[in-house]
Amino acid sequence: MRSVLAIARKDLRLMFRDKGDVFFTFVFPVLLAMLFGFVFRGAATGGSRIAVALVVESDSRIAAGLAEDLAGDASLDVRRVTTREEATDGVRDGTFTAAIILPQSMQAGADRLFSGGSIPIEAIIDPVRRAEAGLIQGKLNELAFRQFPKLLADDAQSKRMFQSMREAIAASKDMGAAQKLAAGALIATAESFVKSMPAGDGGSKPAAGGAGAAWSPVQVRMQELPPRTGVPRSSFDVSVPQGMVWGIAGCVGAFAASVVTERSRGTLVRLRLAPITRAHLLAGKGLACFVTALLVELLLIVLAVTLVGTRVAQPGMLALACVLSAFAFAGLAMLIAGFCRTEAEANGAGRGALLLLALIGGGTIPLFFMPPILQTLSYASPFRWAVIAIEGPLWRDVAPAAQVTPLVVLAGLGFGGFAAGSRLGAFRDAR
Amino acid sequence: MLTLRDIRRSFGSTTAVDGLSLQVQAGEVFGLLGPNGAGKSTTIAIATGLLRPDAGSVDLLGLGSPADAEVRRHLGLAPQEIALYGELTARENLRFLADLYGLADARSRVEGLLAMVELDARADDRTEGFSGGMKRRLNLAAALVHGPRLVMLDEPTAGVDPQSRNRILELVRTLAAGGTTVLYTTHYMEEAAKLCDRVGIIDHGRMLDVGTVPELLARHGGTAGEASDLESAFLALTGRSLRE
Repeated sequence: MRSVLAIARKDLRLMFRDKGDVFFTFVFPVLLAMLFGFVFRGAATGGSRIAVALVVESDSRIAAGLAEDLAGDASLDVRRVTTREEATDGVRDGTFTAAIILPQSMQAGADRLFSGGSIPIEAIIDPVRRAEAGLIQGKLNELAFRQFPKLLADDAQSKRMFQSMREAIAASKDMGAAQKLAAGALIATAESFVKSMPAGDGGSKPAAGGAGAAWSPVQVRMQELPPRTGVPRSSFDVSVPQGMVWGIAGCVGAFAASVVTERSRGTLVRLRLAPITRAHLLAGKGLACFVTALLVELLLIVLAVTLVGTRVAQPGMLALACVLSAFAFAGLAMLIAGFCRTEAEANGAGRGALLLLALIGGGTIPLFFMPPILQTLSYASPFRWAVIAIEGPLWRDVAPAAQVTPLVVLAGLGFGGFAAGSRLGAFRDAR
Repeated sequence: MLTLRDIRRSFGSTTAVDGLSLQVQAGEVFGLLGPNGAGKSTTIAIATGLLRPDAGSVDLLGLGSPADAEVRRHLGLAPQEIALYGELTARENLRFLADLYGLADARSRVEGLLAMVELDARADDRTEGFSGGMKRRLNLAAALVHGPRLVMLDEPTAGVDPQSRNRILELVRTLAAGGTTVLYTTHYMEEAAKLCDRVGIIDHGRMLDVGTVPELLARHGGTAGEASDLESAFLALTGRSLRE
């Protein structure tokens, strides 16, 4: 075991000291995953405007005014839908970043605005789009405040508001008779002031951080949808497995070439002279490749979870998928190493074959976007099985039974790669 | 110590070793001389167990064939081509080999060898930046990490400066004085004459003669102690025609 660990440790050292291998194994896949993620996200949301579903349940003037202002906002791409369910489904399937609901209770809230009430607005957001959700909440507050001058300029509305205030004062048990009298006079003065206001659209905005902010007459209730299952929650759910494909391809290329390099630089002689068997050599080399592939996968998952809010549907199953895919590609690296007799072969034909397999296996075009013929071809690529095995527990949230086939294929590829590689080339020479 | 009996090995239609027998005694420095293509490297590869002979047998220390990992443990090889990891430091190279052999005293063994080949000051430098002589010395140290009883040095002074060559020859003498058996191949006749207790001259895969330098000179002409005379004896045995 010590000799196996010594070989693995040495190979990892060599790999991490090769800037090219480090770039193509760790940096390039991360860049690719981020790039694809942002590109696909832009396409899904129609550029920089935030796609929003709007449900107007209230027939109040304030709801109509708010709906109009929302539709006219340059940062929002508002589409009216008829029901909450339709809006929620749109958020769930990624059509909309959020759904805004102007409920029937808006009118009642507006009536009680100066007597303890507030105007309710509801928003349903996708949990992975929290950044946009914050923007939407701010936008709703701003646009709702804009409705106040309209509210006060509406005679019927202001009458209902002042009447509601008078009723609240009359019913109050905390206020004395003198206080009630003074408050009544104040309301009468305010009502006269509102009546004397000129009619207009009242488009002025409330001062940021002014009294309105502390008062909070608008209550925006943000509701997060439960995590979706079976569909990618964001474009990064798709691009992260793609990044893994390229990282693993880089890793396999590096380790397949390393076996050939041992031969060309003469160090294979030292390995063969040492009191180790072919199995030790294969296990040591394979272990280094396995650890590196696992590190690539872990790096991308950690970055996806921490930077872009990816949620792992089945962590345990994902760990198993990562382990088996790393094992499969360690076996593939040993197979390629066995086939290649020179560094030129390993760097040319070996990496070329990997590139092709990665391309048809979902490395560039996601498998579900591929035309049928390419999807059929992809069955020949080990990368396809790794992508399926990783996507299953990452975002597809598939049943364990559906994971069996890709996991078994990966395990078979690993064992097959090690077994075949050991009978070829450099490993065949070892005992 | 090392016995090769009637070894034969062919590569396609080319016979590299043709019925070669050889016996290296414990504690001696045995020189294996031969022109290019004589079969020296093939013989070394068979003697180390790296290559299987088509016929014949190899025995090391009476333990059997070095194809057996436990027998091979007593064997060290400094190949003619430098066999080091350029991206690793001198210390890391030796430490890797020490771990590969599962040495319990790996650290002290590595430090001792670095001092012996006078590379302790450059121990943490990557070997890719070493001079040819430094690489040769480290290549030799790498063969000695596990304390083998028989060391095979395949042209260990090829392409090095006189200072490094002198240091390597001193090291070989030190090893022999410490009881290590050395099988030494070289093209430099004066090295063989100075260093080797016995010399075997091979050509066309066959052992032409074996003996001490004076014995060879007595049989094939020349005067004992003269390097040029050993060369004369060598040429008398192997001929003067150019080799590929």
